[in-house]
Amino acid sequence: MEVTIIEQDSALVAKLAGRLDTAVSQEVSAKLQPLVDNADRTLILDCKDLEYISSSGLRIFLTIRKAAAAKGGKVIVKDISTEIRQVFMMTGFLNLFEVVTGA
Amino acid sequence: MARQINTKHLAAIQGIMIVLVSIVTLEATLMLQTYYSKKVLKEEANRRAESELETTELAITAVARQVETAVNNTGWNVARYVDKPDSLMEITRRLVTYNDVIFGSAIALTGKQLSPYSYMRDGQVVSTDALGSASYDYKNKEWFLKPLELGRGFWSEPYFDEGGGQMLMTTYSVPISSNAGKVVAVLTADVSLDWLANLVENIDVYPTALSMVVSSSGKIIVSPDEELSTASSIQGLAAQAAPDDTSGYNEVNRAMLSGQTGNLKVKTNGKVNYVFFGAIESMGWSMSIIIPEEEIYIGVNRLTNMVILLQLLGVLMIIIIIVHTVRSQRKLREVEESKSRIDGELQVASNIQMSMLPKVFPPFPERTDIDMSAALVSAKEVGGDIYDFYMRDDKLFFCIGDVSGKGVPASLFMAVTRNLFRAESANEDSPEKIVTAINDTLCSSNESSMFVTFFCGVLDMATGEMYYCNAGHNAPALFTDSIGELPADPNIPLGVLPGFRYSLQQVVLNHDDALFLYTDGITEAEDENHQLFGMERMLSVLHSRRSAQGHLEAMAEAVLRFRGNAPQSDDITALFIHYLGHPVQKDHECKIVFDNDVSQIPRLEEFMEEVERVAGFDMPLTMSLNLALEEAVVNVMQYAFPKGVTGRVNLKAIIRDECVEFILWDKGVAFDPTAAPEADTSLGVEERAIGGLGIHLVRKIMDSVSYVRRDGMNILTMIKNTK
Repeated sequence: MEVTIIEQDSALVAKLAGRLDTAVSQEVSAKLQPLVDNADRTLILDCKDLEYISSSGLRIFLTIRKAAAAKGGKVIVKDISTEIRQVFMMTGFLNLFEVVTGA
Repeated sequence: MARQINTKHLAAIQGIMIVLVSIVTLEATLMLQTYYSKKVLKEEANRRAESELETTELAITAVARQVETAVNNTGWNVARYVDKPDSLMEITRRLVTYNDVIFGSAIALTGKQLSPYSYMRDGQVVSTDALGSASYDYKNKEWFLKPLELGRGFWSEPYFDEGGGQMLMTTYSVPISSNAGKVVAVLTADVSLDWLANLVENIDVYPTALSMVVSSSGKIIVSPDEELSTASSIQGLAAQAAPDDTSGYNEVNRAMLSGQTGNLKVKTNGKVNYVFFGAIESMGWSMSIIIPEEEIYIGVNRLTNMVILLQLLGVLMIIIIIVHTVRSQRKLREVEESKSRIDGELQVASNIQMSMLPKVFPPFPERTDIDMSAALVSAKEVGGDIYDFYMRDDKLFFCIGDVSGKGVPASLFMAVTRNLFRAESANEDSPEKIVTAINDTLCSSNESSMFVTFFCGVLDMATGEMYYCNAGHNAPALFTDSIGELPADPNIPLGVLPGFRYSLQQVVLNHDDALFLYTDGITEAEDENHQLFGMERMLSVLHSRRSAQGHLEAMAEAVLRFRGNAPQSDDITALFIHYLGHPVQKDHECKIVFDNDVSQIPRLEEFMEEVERVAGFDMPLTMSLNLALEEAVVNVMQYAFPKGVTGRVNLKAIIRDECVEFILWDKGVAFDPTAAPEADTSLGVEERAIGGLGIHLVRKIMDSVSYVRRDGMNILTMIKNTK
């Protein structure tokens, strides 16, 4: 599981690649801490290369989303696969996140 | 060999050197000590001799002065009454009467032949004119002539008086002058020298020292020694004592006669004597004390002799010690040589012993239905533990054992047991018959009362069916869905009771089940504080999933680390058999076992790939099933096992035509995931709970989820319809 965070304009972009399962969730959570810390800005979770996500991964997403809601920032989930979109649907996450596709 | 000879010589040379150095050091010390002691003693002898000489001289001089004074004081009276013979006679009487030391006194007139004489006889004073008789012409005598010649008082040579006293005498004579200055008479006083003999006799410087008084003519006046008296002069003495070399005494004689004081070293009869001499001026005599050198140094010589004796004893002891040391070193070397020979033989024995055991791992590289490994670590060069295995007729014959005792006897018993195992199992498939036969043979020839705990098993590779027989050995650990002990009747060890009927037991191993056979060298390994390694530590090492070889290596490392610096007290033997054959309904069922650790979760993907392959799913379904199973497994890991408690989580997929049934079970604390309340997915960001998503996903993805607690196990059954 790879996590890369870059700054793009005023937004923080986290590129997630690989399988986000329970085994790596703690590590990923730590790596995504900068997003929680900067939750007053626009946070983009780039899921183009995210192959898999389990509830522990979803929890990290939700933590970031809650931080943004508290600090007035914004979270955009980008380019999720059909399978993950399915998971988002099942968990009501589609209602919680701005999910976008493409540029 | 050459080196040994050299070291032997070296030891001898070292010994000799030690002895030599000891002797030289001791002798040098002794010589130095003797030299200074002698010097001190010589000085002491000088002092004592000189003191005696002085004392004696003083005593003689006192007598001489007394006589001289008495005589001189009488002189004027003689001059006055020179013409009155009766008065002169009276004068001599008085001199004799009032002076103890004066034995006799005469007044010899120079004119007419007259010499009144008084002397002591038997305590009475006797007066006589005999001296002036015509028959005794005193005017030719020395005692008369000498004072006249000298014009002063004169002490005569001592003489032996045969007339009145029968004793050694000396006479003091003085010329008496008239008022006109004319010499009118010679006044004499005879002095007995008996007191002198006493005086000299009482000189007691050294026990054998000789003292003597010599007159001005060299005649020996007094000496306590009879011989010396007869020698009568120093020269005579020299001729008597040292006829070959009289030069020393001649020198002494010369010095004494010339009135010198001092000492000389003189050799007589090969013995050295010190002669101390001094002048007695008042009488013109000389006195000497002869002290043998050995007398002076008798103390130091005695001491020296004792020291030499002690030194000889010391050197003797050093020699004895060195000889003993050299011998014991040689003995030690022999012992070392024999020890290294025994060590070498033990190494060979160890090699032979180890060569009996299968030790190429993996032993059956061509087989995929078994992964096994074994290890034996002896506490000593050779050990009493045993393991063996081989494959015959698609059956694995294996055994493990532990002979009572250690070392060579145990290793021989172990070799016998191993050979019996091979022999008895060659044509027999039933472990209890093999064990019974081994026992009977061991008992029949067991004179050393040794025994061996033994476990023997025969595993049918095709069916997983395993028959086994235990003979007093500890039960192997069995790994199925959980870790436990293989139920094993204890029976009794081999070699104890002939004819004992050992019981047969049976178990069926499933695919992925494993057996760990071991000896108590593992569980009873002690650390430095004598704590035992124990069953719990052993099982915790085996908890992780590893290859058979990996398990044994991990076990060896764990025991070694636990032991620390404590020595290995017992042989350690282990056998790990991982059965991988006979997968149950392998086309329709998949199985996986997790340790309760979320780091094992990625293995789920492999499992799902297998299920996907068997069931022919498409990708999206595989992924969502994977997700559901992860949530379920993680739930169990987190809630069925309290933190820090290890356990296993088992997952089985039964693939049917219309559905896949996933059964998840564990032996953790009772936990029903289906009892969790439904997560509300319609809530907004602020209201959404962080947890609860997992079981929600399981419910969403699976078509049926049901939980049951049975036989101490949580069993969660999840069904996904595929049609």
